[in-house]
Amino acid sequence: MAKIIPESGYKATFNNISAALLLIDTDAPHYTILDVNDAYLKATNSNREGLLGKSVFGAFPANPSDEEAKNIEMTIFSFEQAIHTKMPHTMSDYRYDIPIRGTDQFEERYWTTTNSPVLDDDGNVAYFIHSPANVTELIKLREKEKTSVEALKNQRQQLFSTFMQAPVGIAIFGGTDYVVDLINPSLCEIYAKTPYEMMGKSIFDTLPHIEGQGFDKLLDQVRITGIPFKGQGYPASLLRNGELQTVYFDFVYEPFREMDGSISGVIAVATEVTEQITAKQLIEEAEERTRLAVDAVGLGTYDLNLETGEMITTKIFANIFGFAEPVPRADYVSVFHADDRELRDLAHKDAAVTGKLFYEARVIWPDESIHWARVEGKTYYDANKKPVRILGTLLDITEQKQAKEDQQKLMALLADSEQLLRNITTAAPTGLWMSDELGNITYVNQTWIDWTGLGFEESLDKGWTNAIVAQDRQKASDKFLSDLANRNFHEAEFRINHVDGIMHWCVVTGSPQYRNDGTFTGYIGACVDITEQKNLQQQKDDFIGIASHELKTPVTSIKAYTQVLERMLLKKGEAREAGMINKMDGQLNRLTSLIGDLLDVTKINSGKLQFNDRDFDFNDLVKELIEDLQRTTDKHTLVENLVPTGIVHGDKERIGQVITNLITNAIKYSPQADKIIVHTSLKNNEVNLCVQDFGIGIEKDKLDKVFEQFYRVSGDMQHTFPGLGLGLYISSEIIKREGGRIWVSSKHGEGSTFCFALPLKK
Amino acid sequence: MSGTKTIMVVDDDPAILDAVCIMLEFEGYDVYCTPDGAELLNMESNLPDLLLLDIWMSGLDGRDICKQLKQNLSTSKLPVVLISASRDIERSALAAGANDFLAKPFEIDDLLAKIEKNLAA
Repeated sequence: MAKIIPESGYKATFNNISAALLLIDTDAPHYTILDVNDAYLKATNSNREGLLGKSVFGAFPANPSDEEAKNIEMTIFSFEQAIHTKMPHTMSDYRYDIPIRGTDQFEERYWTTTNSPVLDDDGNVAYFIHSPANVTELIKLREKEKTSVEALKNQRQQLFSTFMQAPVGIAIFGGTDYVVDLINPSLCEIYAKTPYEMMGKSIFDTLPHIEGQGFDKLLDQVRITGIPFKGQGYPASLLRNGELQTVYFDFVYEPFREMDGSISGVIAVATEVTEQITAKQLIEEAEERTRLAVDAVGLGTYDLNLETGEMITTKIFANIFGFAEPVPRADYVSVFHADDRELRDLAHKDAAVTGKLFYEARVIWPDESIHWARVEGKTYYDANKKPVRILGTLLDITEQKQAKEDQQKLMALLADSEQLLRNITTAAPTGLWMSDELGNITYVNQTWIDWTGLGFEESLDKGWTNAIVAQDRQKASDKFLSDLANRNFHEAEFRINHVDGIMHWCVVTGSPQYRNDGTFTGYIGACVDITEQKNLQQQKDDFIGIASHELKTPVTSIKAYTQVLERMLLKKGEAREAGMINKMDGQLNRLTSLIGDLLDVTKINSGKLQFNDRDFDFNDLVKELIEDLQRTTDKHTLVENLVPTGIVHGDKERIGQVITNLITNAIKYSPQADKIIVHTSLKNNEVNLCVQDFGIGIEKDKLDKVFEQFYRVSGDMQHTFPGLGLGLYISSEIIKREGGRIWVSSKHGEGSTFCFALPLKK
Repeated sequence: MSGTKTIMVVDDDPAILDAVCIMLEFEGYDVYCTPDGAELLNMESNLPDLLLLDIWMSGLDGRDICKQLKQNLSTSKLPVVLISASRDIERSALAAGANDFLAKPFEIDDLLAKIEKNLAA
């Protein structure tokens, strides 16, 4: 039979139970503590007297430092729930700090509390049981666990991101096919593939071109033996931008072990070092080149230890000093030219201070020949700033020295020739000048300045024209500008106001100048004083003028006597003698004509040829002349081919002189022909006259020359055709002065046609 | 023709003077020849029928003499033919009042033609 537990037994049970219990009245808001068991007292560090009859919130006030828990409100809410629902209400894991007795401090506590209502006989809530379980330890433990999991997560995250962002390529190749289990972007970049292309496939399937480069064997070796492999500066051919390129790697293959220690793959860590390798190669090449260059220019090098006096030298260094192979320093020093030793010592002293060694000195070779050497170097110091070492170069500069001497001689010569040139330009009896491309004068020499009295500056640009006499100025300027515009060779004559007070004649010439690229730069020219020449020409003209005049006087009297004599003989009936006298008269006419030509030329040259213009019938003149001239030749028939022309206003005598000249020439130069045709015609208000012969003709290249002064038919024929060479020149001058044109067409060996055109009377 | 005409010839060159005078005498004229042009300046009576006068003479210019003769009432009607070695001065010769001009050296026919022409005028 079961024991009956006495009423007092429940009280004992209440006090002995391990759960903390507090009985609380429903008298909100006080919630008076009705009873408390020992476990509760123990859990809350309180005693029964301090609690019984007190408000629960008075006994356990809120911890002022714990603002977040809001435990009072939560507790009141739970109380109200239990009272209203008449069902137990549980608050889980909440914080409710308890005061530490005897202090104003609190102890941090976490609780899971159940408020269970106890109903009276009427079914109303009489009171309720407040049963907190201290879960502080549990909560703390749970928090600790949460923190460490979080830390672990963070660590993993960090590890992964490190792996992904690592500047070195990392991958795990699994199995015997080396399937990519994991690969980071750095390695993908090296392979020029995306992670998507790489993952889950054999590395040799994705990158078929690396098979056979030895990596498969290395991987096998590491996987089978478990011994890691380290490669440095290892070359590999990889596809880059569609072509195979050699790139270099530092890499490690490590076995990837499972938990049980078995090897299931290989971890690869790789860094591309192509740039470093390439740079290294470039440096090596550069060093090699430098060495070659040093050798090629015959540069000797040395390394001098200032503490021991020991010096390491190259073969070339030794050669420059006249030794076949390097020798100790003292031997080198011994061959310096005595005069240069002091200079060398000074240079070394200087180098200790400045850090730079430089000097040029002579060395004497065993064969007594003297050579120049240039020593350069850099001083190195120890920590105490004491010079300990000099490194540097040595160069044989014998040839340079020689060349420099030659150059100096050349410079001296050049300076001499420059001075000479300057003296010449100054002393030359010729004005020299230069212009720019716009025709502005940029230079005149001293001679020009001496002549004109203009200063150098005054002569520049357009200033030079001020030296020209007013009447000639515009013409000279216009001629120069016109030649400039056409880039023609410039030639002009003008008079300048000379410092001697007299006008001087100058002939100026100038050649257009061009740069190498063909652009025009201006003129370089000369100006020659031709006053003397002009004077001489004037004197010559004057002389010929006077001489011809003086010649005419005796010719006139001889001619008069001759003609009287002819008449007298004819009267006497002595026809033969009269005929001879007549021939004499013909020769006198020829002489008169020659004198006339000379006189005409002097007049043309001095501009004094005078014209007595009047109206006359052109064809009448031609007929008259043909009639006269026909008498002078038995051989030729002068054929008239005349068209009515009309009246011409001009000097009848002078124009007649031209026609006579053309017809007598035609007779003279067609000794084998029997006719000469004289044409006249009317064209464009001009009277044309042509004299056509069937004689020797004129060569094409001589056609332009026949109207020049003193031109004569040259060659063998010269002797056959006498004359002064003035006739056509005078004719052309006359026609030009009468406002007409004169020309010739001819075929060598077939004859010539000389023509002129004169304006009709308006 | 009313009797023989008298022609006066003035030229400072004796050879020309001689030759021309011989020629004109041969042609039937009465000829008075002198190398001195100054003689003409005082000439008032016994005038020739025609004067043949050289222009360039030593110390004298035929044109000046001609001008003076033409200005002088008693001699202004006297035909004057000026002669010169220079053809270019024909214009100035005519400007000086000469009736005609002849350039040296000349054809005898031209001289006679000019003389006849001016005697007839």
